[in-house]
Amino acid sequence: MTRPLLATLLFGLALAAPPLDAAGPAAAERDAALAMAGDPVKGKAAYRVCRGCHQADGAGRADAGYPQLAGQQATVLVKQMADVRSGRRQSPAMHPFINPDEVSTRDLADIAAYLAGLPVPAGNGKGDGRHLARGRTLYERDCATCHGRAGEGDGARFVPRLAGQHYRYLVRESTAIRAQAGARRDADADMVRAIAPYTAGDIAAVSDYLARFRSAR
Amino acid sequence: MRVSVPLAAALFAGAAVPAPAADPPAGGDPTRGAVVMAARCAGCHGTDGNSRTRGIPNLAGQQPEYLVRELNGFKEDGRESAPMQAIAQDLSDQDMADLAAFLAGQAPVRGKVTKPALLALGKRIYLNGNPAGGVPACDGCHETRGEGSDRFPRVAGQDVDYTVAQFRLYVAGKRPYARKVMLTVAERLSEKEARAVAEYLASLP
Repeated sequence: MTRPLLATLLFGLALAAPPLDAAGPAAAERDAALAMAGDPVKGKAAYRVCRGCHQADGAGRADAGYPQLAGQQATVLVKQMADVRSGRRQSPAMHPFINPDEVSTRDLADIAAYLAGLPVPAGNGKGDGRHLARGRTLYERDCATCHGRAGEGDGARFVPRLAGQHYRYLVRESTAIRAQAGARRDADADMVRAIAPYTAGDIAAVSDYLARFRSAR
Repeated sequence: MRVSVPLAAALFAGAAVPAPAADPPAGGDPTRGAVVMAARCAGCHGTDGNSRTRGIPNLAGQQPEYLVRELNGFKEDGRESAPMQAIAQDLSDQDMADLAAFLAGQAPVRGKVTKPALLALGKRIYLNGNPAGGVPACDGCHETRGEGSDRFPRVAGQDVDYTVAQFRLYVAGKRPYARKVMLTVAERLSEKEARAVAEYLASLP
C-alpha cells in the first residue's frame, strides 16, 4: 500500500535542493511560530493528532523510538516540528502527521507551549546501566557546556533538554547526527563537531547516563 | 424515535419535510432533523441512525461536524455511493445541519462483531498502534472509547464491512476530504490489521 512514484519524486526534489535552501522554509516557519505567544490550552487541543504516538502525557514510547516530549524546551519543540515538516529533519514516520492541513504554524507555537509545561514523566527507557561513570565523564567534558549541568537544555539556543529522554531514542538520534548522511542534517554544527569522535560505546554510555538523569526543570 | 405528533402527521400526509424555521437554531434543529431522517434516510440507516444492514454505516451519536462535511462530500465532491449521491442532491445546508443535530443526539448501539478472534489484535492497534509499521494508536485522535470529537469522527460501534471498505477507499484516494493523517494510517495498516481494527470498533459501545 505505498506510492512509489510520489516517493521517488519527493526524494528527487530533496536531493536536488541545496542544503542551505532546505533550511530556509524550516527556519522561516520556526521564527514565525516563535514570534507568537503559545497558548497551552489551544495547544492541548492541537496536540490530539500527536497523541497516537507521543501519548497523552507526552511520554512517547521507549520501545518504539517515539521521543519523550513533556517538559522539553518550547523553542526546541518548535524548531524540530518545523524541521520535520519541511523535510530538513527526515522522519518518514512523522512527516505525514504534521502536514500543514492538520497543524498550522500557530499550532506549532501552541503545542510547544503545552508540552513545555507538562511534568517530565518517570519510567522512561534506560540502558543496561553498566557504563554510567563513563557516561558521566563524557557528558561533563563534552556536552554539559551546551546541554546544561542537569541536562536541562537551553531554550534560547535551541539546545534540547536531554534528562529523562528514552535511551533508545538518544542512541538513535546521536548516531544519526554523527553520521550526517541522512535523517539529521538539521543538527547544530557544534553538536556535529562534538559527537564526531564518539564511538558507539561512547554514545551508549552518555545516553544511558542521560536517560537516568532526573533533574528539576 | 423523537418525532412530534404534528410533524409525523404531516409526514404521513405526504408533506415531505416542513420548511425550515425562518431563523434556525445554530447547529441545526434536531426535531426537524428527525423528520428529514424518517423521510430520506431511515430506510437504510434506521430511524435512529442505527443501521440494521451490513455495510451500511451506523450514524447514531456521530459527530455533527463530520456528518455535515461528509454529506457535502456526497453532494458536491464526489464521495462514492450511488444512493448517497442521489439523496444528498436533495438535501439543503439546513437539512444537513438538522440531520446532524438529530443524529448526534441518538443513542448508538454496539455494532456486530463478525470475527471475534481478531478483537485482541484490533484492540492492541487501537490503543497502542503498530510502532514497527509506523501506525499510531487510533485513540490518539478518535479518543479512548471511539467517541471522536469536533475534529475527528466517532468510530465506536461502527459496522465492520463499512469500516473495512472505508480503509480501502482512503488508500485508493476515493475519500474526497481524506486527511493525510488518515490516509497514511490506512496505507500503513495491513489487510489483517485493518480488519481487526474494524472488528474492535464494532465491539465498542
